Amino acid sequence: MKPAFILTQILLLVAVSPLVSGIIRKIKNNIRMRKGAGIFQPYYNLAKLFGKEEVVSDTTSWIFRAAPFVILASSVCALSLVPVFAATLSFSNMGDFLAIIFILALGRFFIALAGLDAGSAFGGMGSSREMFISTFAEPVALLSVFAVSLNAGSTNLAAVSAPVGLRLSSIIAAISLFIVTIAETSRIPVDNQETHLELTMIHEAMVLEYSGKSLALIELASHIKQILFFSLIAAVVIPWGDFALKMTVIIITVSLIEVSVAKMRLFRAVDLLSFAFVISIMAVIVSAAGY
Amino acid sequence: MEYRDELYIDVKPEEFRSKCLELHKKLSSPVMMYFAVDERTEKKSFAVYCAFLDWADKRWVFVKMQLPEGQTRFESISKDVFSAALFEREMKEMFGLEPGGNPDLRRLHLHDEVWPEGFYPLRKDFIPPERAQRSDGAYRFKKVEGEGIFEVPVGPVHAGIIGPGHFRFSAAGEPVISLEARLGFTHRGVEKLFEKMPSAGSDDAVSFSERVSGDSAFAYSTAYCRGIEKIYGLRVPERAQYIRAIFLELERIYNHTNDIGGIAVDVGFTFPNAFASIMKENTLALNEKISGSRYLKGVNEVGGVSRDFGGSERKALLDHLDGISKDFRELKAILGSSISFMDRVDKTGILKKKTAVDLGIVGLAARASGIPMDLRKTFPGVYAEANFNLIREEDGDVLARLNVRLREFEESVRLIREFIRIMAPGDISAASKIEPKPGCGIGYAEGWRGPVLFWIKTDASGRIERCKIVDPSFHNWQGLCFAVLGNIIPDFPLCNKSFDLSYPGNDL
Repeated sequence: MKPAFILTQILLLVAVSPLVSGIIRKIKNNIRMRKGAGIFQPYYNLAKLFGKEEVVSDTTSWIFRAAPFVILASSVCALSLVPVFAATLSFSNMGDFLAIIFILALGRFFIALAGLDAGSAFGGMGSSREMFISTFAEPVALLSVFAVSLNAGSTNLAAVSAPVGLRLSSIIAAISLFIVTIAETSRIPVDNQETHLELTMIHEAMVLEYSGKSLALIELASHIKQILFFSLIAAVVIPWGDFALKMTVIIITVSLIEVSVAKMRLFRAVDLLSFAFVISIMAVIVSAAGY
Repeated sequence: MEYRDELYIDVKPEEFRSKCLELHKKLSSPVMMYFAVDERTEKKSFAVYCAFLDWADKRWVFVKMQLPEGQTRFESISKDVFSAALFEREMKEMFGLEPGGNPDLRRLHLHDEVWPEGFYPLRKDFIPPERAQRSDGAYRFKKVEGEGIFEVPVGPVHAGIIGPGHFRFSAAGEPVISLEARLGFTHRGVEKLFEKMPSAGSDDAVSFSERVSGDSAFAYSTAYCRGIEKIYGLRVPERAQYIRAIFLELERIYNHTNDIGGIAVDVGFTFPNAFASIMKENTLALNEKISGSRYLKGVNEVGGVSRDFGGSERKALLDHLDGISKDFRELKAILGSSISFMDRVDKTGILKKKTAVDLGIVGLAARASGIPMDLRKTFPGVYAEANFNLIREEDGDVLARLNVRLREFEESVRLIREFIRIMAPGDISAASKIEPKPGCGIGYAEGWRGPVLFWIKTDASGRIERCKIVDPSFHNWQGLCFAVLGNIIPDFPLCNKSFDLSYPGNDL
């Protein structure tokens, strides 16, 4: 019975993931005194893209065609390792949180290759920037979860997310993981999902060449990756309190940050991630000290 | 045909270059206009005019040479006066005149890919080519070579709804070491179309001038009308001058608001942009209420303005100014108090004063680089009554250009209030006295982006013989290409927005 529950959980999260993006957009637009599209808009977008013809450049190789599937598969696979609604609800005996980071890195590797594959100037810039940012983001993600796994004495997420009460180290780790989440979900102040300016893009620049179904897969993968990081904070790093409430707080915080600060200059994003790195080390120390 | 604000110096072709260099130095003015006129029907040859601005004596100085019959070559001045370079390229492609000694004679607007050799549109005997055709030459971009240097081509089709322009970056990693803009994609042959207008003083001609560059419709029609009025010897009633000044400032207000929001959105700071958009929309709605057009079209006519300014318009305008000033203070506070925003605009895209002077940068961008240049100061007219203050910043970065906009916004609001207070009732147009006269003259207005210049030559029947237009963007695009150097590629859109130049005004 357990695998069936886990599969249900994964399907539910995948189904809900575009809604999270839709809600964030709606909140942002309302803050900006705009009506905004409905919260189900990301679903309509996906449906539209799935129904569209695809244009693929002649200069691309098999990587370009394969990348969307690899990216989607890697985010779903990583999601299956995260216990969300209950500590036991994941395939966590198949891989700990290191596996999550590496599986996501596989997806990132392919999307960066695909960005280079079409040979357009923007794709190359996007790939180089994405790798640059991830060089700083990945270690922070690892360290933050290390801190909480020290609390549990195991890197297995099922053990980590078992409710042990709120600890100081968890809160500190949550802050640093939150900064990583902003970078990983291409949000302000690191990246900007809404921009039309090709020259400033990071994530969007890599996928500029995609259209139709492939683009739909990549977008869906981004929604999934977002809900994965949100759940990681809400369910694993802070295994205390109501899940829905924690998710709501995260969604509102992300929306508020998006409208209230400007995007950082590209190289300044490193400062932010370095800051997150310091915090994550602090979390490890605090955790080692027993708090 | 002598006017108080124009001086023509006729020189022999061999003295042309030295005279231009002398004036350039003496007046410390860039080349403001530099164009040819096809006078082969009357005088059997081409004439070339080069205009400088004499700040001290408050007049335009034109150096004119008549080329010998049959000659199409003249000596280039652009090796010594850089601000002349683009004009010479333009003369080459539009008239087939060869500026001898100019190292860069690539085409500007008539792209090699579509325009065949030997067709010079501004010649009087021009017959358009039957179809698009490649010319023999190919456009060569500046090339930077070396290890780790790569080229990034951007445009002419962009991801957003903006004008078409091609930008070729040479970058080492992220920092830009060279940027070349190739424009001309919106070339419509505006100057030639003016020559086809049946009557220079007609509403059609004025209406056409409003469509040269849409966001400066009022500055354009004002400059055009002033040129024609000068040639026809029309005295514009004082009230009309005030009304023109008010609308010119309203145009500045809505465009500055738009750009302040635009600068914010280009660094991903969307809240102030939403705020500025509302302010802009309110101003456009007000424009429609008091002038009948959101973009202030149809107000100007040769001889004055077509709509008076009644009590209800006056009240609507004053109420609007109160409201928008309040919003503006809030907007300014939001931007000024945001550390993340200030970090992006401060010290980004610096255009040094020396570079700006050499390139002949004009208008808002010049004032942000410390050059005290504003036609409202040099030729104040009714602005003198309102004690116009010239706004200037020193640093030349994005922040300086933003600050010029913020301060000019406040100044514009103040000016409009003053104008309304001072202006007396009276006539608003001398249009009934229009009598076509042959002659030539310069019409000008300080639009929100900078000086909009029309040099117009009319014939006895009231048609336009030649109409040369210079938009501030024509000079300032080069400034952008220099301001970007040393900045990283993702900062280009921000630098670009801080200049906010016009494609149609440049491409004509």
